Amino acid sequence: MRIKLSIIIGTLIGALFTTQAAYADRLDDIEKRSVIKIAVFDSNPPFGFVDEKTHKIIGLDVDYANAIGKALDVKVDLIPTNPANRIPLLSSQKADLIIANFTVTEERAKTVDFSLPYFATGQKFIARKGVLKTAEDLKNLRIGADKGTVMEITLREKFPFAKVISYDDTPFAFTALRNGVVQAITQDDAKLVGLLANVPADQRAAFEISPFSITEEYQAVGIPKGEARLKEKVDQTLLNLEKDGTADQIYSRWFGPDTTSAIPRGDFKIGEVK
Amino acid sequence: MELKGFEVIWNNLDYLMWGNLPGGIALTLIMSLSAIIFATLLGILLGVGLTLAKGGIRQILVVFLGFLRAIPIIMLIFWTFFLLPILFNIDVPAIATVIFALSLVGAAYIGYSVHAGMVAISQGQWQAAFSLGLGKKQVIFYIILPQAVKMMMPSIVNQWIPLIKDSSLAYIVGVAELTFVATQINNRSMIYPTEIFIFVILVYFVICWFVNFVVAQFLKDRSY
Repeated sequence: MRIKLSIIIGTLIGALFTTQAAYADRLDDIEKRSVIKIAVFDSNPPFGFVDEKTHKIIGLDVDYANAIGKALDVKVDLIPTNPANRIPLLSSQKADLIIANFTVTEERAKTVDFSLPYFATGQKFIARKGVLKTAEDLKNLRIGADKGTVMEITLREKFPFAKVISYDDTPFAFTALRNGVVQAITQDDAKLVGLLANVPADQRAAFEISPFSITEEYQAVGIPKGEARLKEKVDQTLLNLEKDGTADQIYSRWFGPDTTSAIPRGDFKIGEVK
Repeated sequence: MELKGFEVIWNNLDYLMWGNLPGGIALTLIMSLSAIIFATLLGILLGVGLTLAKGGIRQILVVFLGFLRAIPIIMLIFWTFFLLPILFNIDVPAIATVIFALSLVGAAYIGYSVHAGMVAISQGQWQAAFSLGLGKKQVIFYIILPQAVKMMMPSIVNQWIPLIKDSSLAYIVGVAELTFVATQINNRSMIYPTEIFIFVILVYFVICWFVNFVVAQFLKDRSY
């Protein structure tokens, strides 16, 4: 399992660091160099992806990254990342923060610290219409998941009878679904809505998103272990973003009614979930 | 299946070509070419070393080369990128890491090719060269290597081709070469993986075939 491996590698690198480098406060470092290095996804719309025209990385996570940079009054250096190298980037100090649709899990919390969650999702499925009515229908199906994600692991744990097939990323999984290699694919509801929005209308009609979700997950900023001052600063910034309405603005920029992946924000607010 | 999605290639052609400067096909070419040059030069030195060194030094060389040939390139890239900053306290740029890893592994393979080529030169050549009163260096660089390298050229080109293709492993450290930018576009457009990766295959094919073609021409025209 890729996710396990990346955590182990992250821990190893982290261990090397703490024994070799003298302890320095990361927040001081960031302020001294006037640059914060933030790892964001570059191929996970709408959280982080490369804009077709400007060729710059944009997305919901990037908006949060920029907001944190602004609050610290430093330049933001975006580092493209993928599920496999997020934690190693943080452990080897190539990145100061991870803002890459990073789901809070207990296992990850052993290697990194999490900020307050700034986003909530549920794990859902896309299948041909009528295939999935309840979670019971998942049994004995072949289900495509993205490698190195929490969804892959959850699925294996909760539905041992389902046959989970891992793909490098969502487009491959979706192609497998269209070709009938798998009967369903799984991802965050937010991402699935965006995916279906991209499919031409004549094909979209054949698919639907499952009415149920099998988890409730929270995404938070990944912070190097033990950097208490940095964590406090990030948490404070997130709370302020919620208070002054910026969090709502950011949300509706990517998931609002005018977007192709419109979903109501629901009752999740930053600061209500630890 | 219908392939009307090829306009996704056309719409993103500039990004596929050079990404955010450097990136895309341009970066693949830069990294492969640098790796080919370094790997070949280092490989020749290693080949000479394998042929001439004796005893302990040769043992160390053999273990070192064996190690390089035994580990997956992707691990070498991964670990040089994440470990070098820790061990030597230097922050190596990702692109340099990839060139470094590809060059080392390529050199290990080319080293053995060169070694085999030098051994294959008949003893008479060595003896004749020495009896002319040439020094060891002169014998190697003027008499043996030119013959050996010419003979080993197809085998060396065999190593160049995987270096070009292996540059796609740079994705693990976030270097925006061709495969990486194609993945970015694939994830944005979501539904055209077939079209995008057919294009990627074509590009690698053209690059590798071109290298092969040029070397073949070069060898044909050369007369000794």
